[in-house]
Amino acid sequence: MTLRARLFAVVGLVVAVSVALVTVTISAAARRSFEALDRERTRALVAQFRREFALQGEDVARRIERLAASDALQRTAFEIGRRSDYAPFAGEAASIAAAQGLDFVDLVAADGSIISSAEWPARFGYRLRWAAPARAGSPAFLQAIELPRETAIGLVAVRQVASGSRTLYVGAGRRLDQQFLRTLTLPDGMRALLYRNVEPEVSRQQLVDASGQAPPAAQLEPLIARVRETGRESADTIEWPDGPETVDGIPLAGPGGDVLGLLLVASSGRELAALLSRIRWSGFGFGALGVIVGAALSYAAATQVTRPVEQVAEAADRIAGGDWDVRVGGVRAAREIDALARAFDTMAVQLVDQRDRLVQAERVAAWRELARRLAHELKNPLFPLRITLDNLRRARALPPKEFEEVLDESLATLDIGFRNLNVVVGRFGDFAKMPAPVLEDASPNEIVERTLQLVRAQIEAPGRPPIRVALDLDPACGIVRADGEQLGRVLQNLVLNAVDAMPKGGELAIRTLGTAASVRIDVGDTGEGLTDEERERLFTPYYTTKQHGTGLGLAIVQSVVADHAGRVWVDSAPGRGSTFHLELPRAQADAMKADGVKGASA
Amino acid sequence: MKPFTSLCLALASLAAADAVLSAARPQYGGTLRVEVEATLATLDPAAAAANDAQDAARARVSPLVFEPLTSIEADGLRPLLATSWQIEARGGRWRFRVRGGVVLHDGSTLQPWQVAASIRAIEPAWKAAAEGDAVAIDTGEPIPDLPWAIADARHAIVVRGAGGALVGSGPFRIEHVDPSRILLKAHDSYWRARPFVDGVQIESARRPEAQLVDLEGGRADVVGVRAIDARRLMRRGLRVEASRPLELVALVFEPHRATDAALAWRRTLAATIHRDAICSVVLQGQAAPARSALPPWLSGYARAIALNDAPAMSPTAVGALPLDQRTVTIRVDPADLVTQAIAERLAVDAREAGFTVKVQAPVGLAPRPDARLVRVAAPATTADRALASIAERLSARGEPAAAPPPGAALDATYRAEQALVERVVVVPIVHVPQLYGVGERVGAAAPVARPLGGWDLANVWLLGGRP
Repeated sequence: MTLRARLFAVVGLVVAVSVALVTVTISAAARRSFEALDRERTRALVAQFRREFALQGEDVARRIERLAASDALQRTAFEIGRRSDYAPFAGEAASIAAAQGLDFVDLVAADGSIISSAEWPARFGYRLRWAAPARAGSPAFLQAIELPRETAIGLVAVRQVASGSRTLYVGAGRRLDQQFLRTLTLPDGMRALLYRNVEPEVSRQQLVDASGQAPPAAQLEPLIARVRETGRESADTIEWPDGPETVDGIPLAGPGGDVLGLLLVASSGRELAALLSRIRWSGFGFGALGVIVGAALSYAAATQVTRPVEQVAEAADRIAGGDWDVRVGGVRAAREIDALARAFDTMAVQLVDQRDRLVQAERVAAWRELARRLAHELKNPLFPLRITLDNLRRARALPPKEFEEVLDESLATLDIGFRNLNVVVGRFGDFAKMPAPVLEDASPNEIVERTLQLVRAQIEAPGRPPIRVALDLDPACGIVRADGEQLGRVLQNLVLNAVDAMPKGGELAIRTLGTAASVRIDVGDTGEGLTDEERERLFTPYYTTKQHGTGLGLAIVQSVVADHAGRVWVDSAPGRGSTFHLELPRAQADAMKADGVKGASA
Repeated sequence: MKPFTSLCLALASLAAADAVLSAARPQYGGTLRVEVEATLATLDPAAAAANDAQDAARARVSPLVFEPLTSIEADGLRPLLATSWQIEARGGRWRFRVRGGVVLHDGSTLQPWQVAASIRAIEPAWKAAAEGDAVAIDTGEPIPDLPWAIADARHAIVVRGAGGALVGSGPFRIEHVDPSRILLKAHDSYWRARPFVDGVQIESARRPEAQLVDLEGGRADVVGVRAIDARRLMRRGLRVEASRPLELVALVFEPHRATDAALAWRRTLAATIHRDAICSVVLQGQAAPARSALPPWLSGYARAIALNDAPAMSPTAVGALPLDQRTVTIRVDPADLVTQAIAERLAVDAREAGFTVKVQAPVGLAPRPDARLVRVAAPATTADRALASIAERLSARGEPAAAPPPGAALDATYRAEQALVERVVVVPIVHVPQLYGVGERVGAAAPVARPLGGWDLANVWLLGGRP
């Protein structure tokens, strides 16, 4: 990762983390505040419910007291008292209930049997347990009221009606249902539900809200069951699809303490969730903005710091690529970076000086090596010449016939010596004036086979230990653009070197291999191999490991291969033979054009 | 006291007395407004009724226009268009002497051949022919109680005039008939006496609630009343007149509950029913407890038929029953508030014994019930014919009941009825009369409601009519 990227990441991360921390802190504080507010609202509603409940109870008790004292009921009670048959009065309760706006009205005889029932007219004659005389005069109480098809919860009271000789009781009240729920004033976000605990198991059918419909109750069932069992207030947070809701379950107990119903006060957490969501999204928004701004700042800062460094690095790359004249003295940067740039320029100047001195030294060394080699090469042919000249000088003292014989021998020797000198000079001349390759379509496999034909006589020369030739030519090797003559000479050099490397015989392996981009020719031997030092200096001109080598063969090989935009290298180890690898690119023509080599097709 | 004052007081007293007396005196004129629940598109006795309600309504209206040869009254069989009858050899041939001087609605006099034609039209299998001033009826198979059999409205004598006009001999003639209204006019030459009212307007297809409101509002003079509304009318000072009990309300168990294995269970459920409470409170004293299919006035042996005395289950045993046997569903007609009210009370009674009873009044598809609460007419005829009619109607509702043979002796009828009730598949609950509400402006020398069903409108007058 670059310095600029690191700086960018660090600044961005710091900004994002900071915003996230702020968001989380604000969210937590808002949640705590809302939860506290919600608890307060719930407490207020529960208190309101209790007040409402008490007021309703008082109102019911007052209504029934007025009803018991009313002339109409007094007359009815008197008539009932006069007759032994209650049948004509079976419809009285319904009339009273309609007139008084009560949901339940029962006229009950002293023995507890129903004379008339508004809520269940067919129940006349049977006992009504909750309207027992013992409860006459007591405050209103909660009671499970049996109806033809259900059991309701009622807030009821019982009063005695004076009826002359007979005692009559009126039990009446109101139903706790959606109408009752509607009397509760609820703040926004809150709702009240009523559960009628009139079945052995928790039943969804017994749950109503202010609209009278049964809301989904599956999630409320555990809370309802808990309050039913314990008879104590409890609360749960319900997760609805549209948000959480805190529900308080308040038991509604009858006179015996049994839980007849539950008031469920639900406070929606949707507002809190919405607020937290808004805070969260605001946090995300500010965080994103912070990251963008931080990124811009960090980019600017990183650019300020890293651009001079990059310029220095670029200058170093150009110097490495051979552009020794590049300088970074004009970089505008901080003091440390400016010192770095100046140091770089100083270093570049020193490198140029050292390069020049090195070139000069190498040039001198090359001349010395050339002179040494020339001296060495010329010394050998010159020594017989000097001996021959000394023999001629001494032969002047011999008789003419002998002198003639010596002269002829000396002239022959001189001729040979001069020819040798001429050969040596020619070799050096050839190396000096290596011609440019003439490129044409050439088959590496054919070149290999032609070269083998030329050197086969030397390979199979009498007296030479046998050398087995292993030829592995790739049929798909194809054609390359190459100078066949020069490439043949290269191969001839490599093959003869391999043969020379195997004085005790061995195996000469020649292999061609074509790829999409290049053609490779490998020439291997099973000779003694090369040391690391020999391998490093192998292609140096005038370096040879042979007794009578000029050290120019592999130099010529490398020169020819380089002219073909290819490369040559050797794999070798002492005792394991050597393998020379030639690699010629198929697109060498273009490469050579770039290098100024004239192609045959150009 | 001054003479003038005394004279004024005397005149005022006379005026008041006259007003009271005139209200009690018969008066002619006016149109009596009657309402019925069924739709009546025709009064032809031979036409098939669409349902029981239409059949019952036609049985009330048709006798106002058409009269049969005989009539069943509270004190027995009485002659009507026939003055006498006699049975001939082997009981297969009867001879009815036709009343003379009976003027038909078209002004002609009733002839025996017209009587014979009317009987042949309604009973094609019989051979009826005029023989002098009489009509001979050969029924083929002996019908020992033929005079009773032809006393119903279906066998009323109808003379079919040109263009299909229906001509009768009753106190009223047909003026107009359409599905919503029937207009009858007084038959001035009625062989008994002209009716007091000039006409009768019968509104049909009126729901019971609407009839009640119309009567209370003075828009109707005679309406059908449900037992559950009787006390309401009486409290408003309106008359409620009742026939003898002519309907049986019974609990009929469905086949899956009518097995022998469930006999004890059915008996227990039947034993929970408090018939007296149903009659006195639910039906407001306008019904009689029923322990037999036929009402006591009709059979005379009802007290002898007791529900099987075999012990029923104890409430504890009921509580130990599986839930599906403790829960009973009773289906009632959703349009019949009387049976619904009775069913509600049955549910209360059974609940106290440990059952859970659901009253089902479906208007669409509903689960299979365990029993149905049904109303079956108990026609005012002989006991064997009435029981056969009940059995036939119960059979039509899915409960096969053995009917006594025609003309069966009373002991055979008794045994047949005993067999009907002892399986406790049919549980008689109450016998219900026909009830009519009579408006304030209706005066009558006799009750409007005939004891054995129908109206006696020929002897009704309207206050404010011609004296």
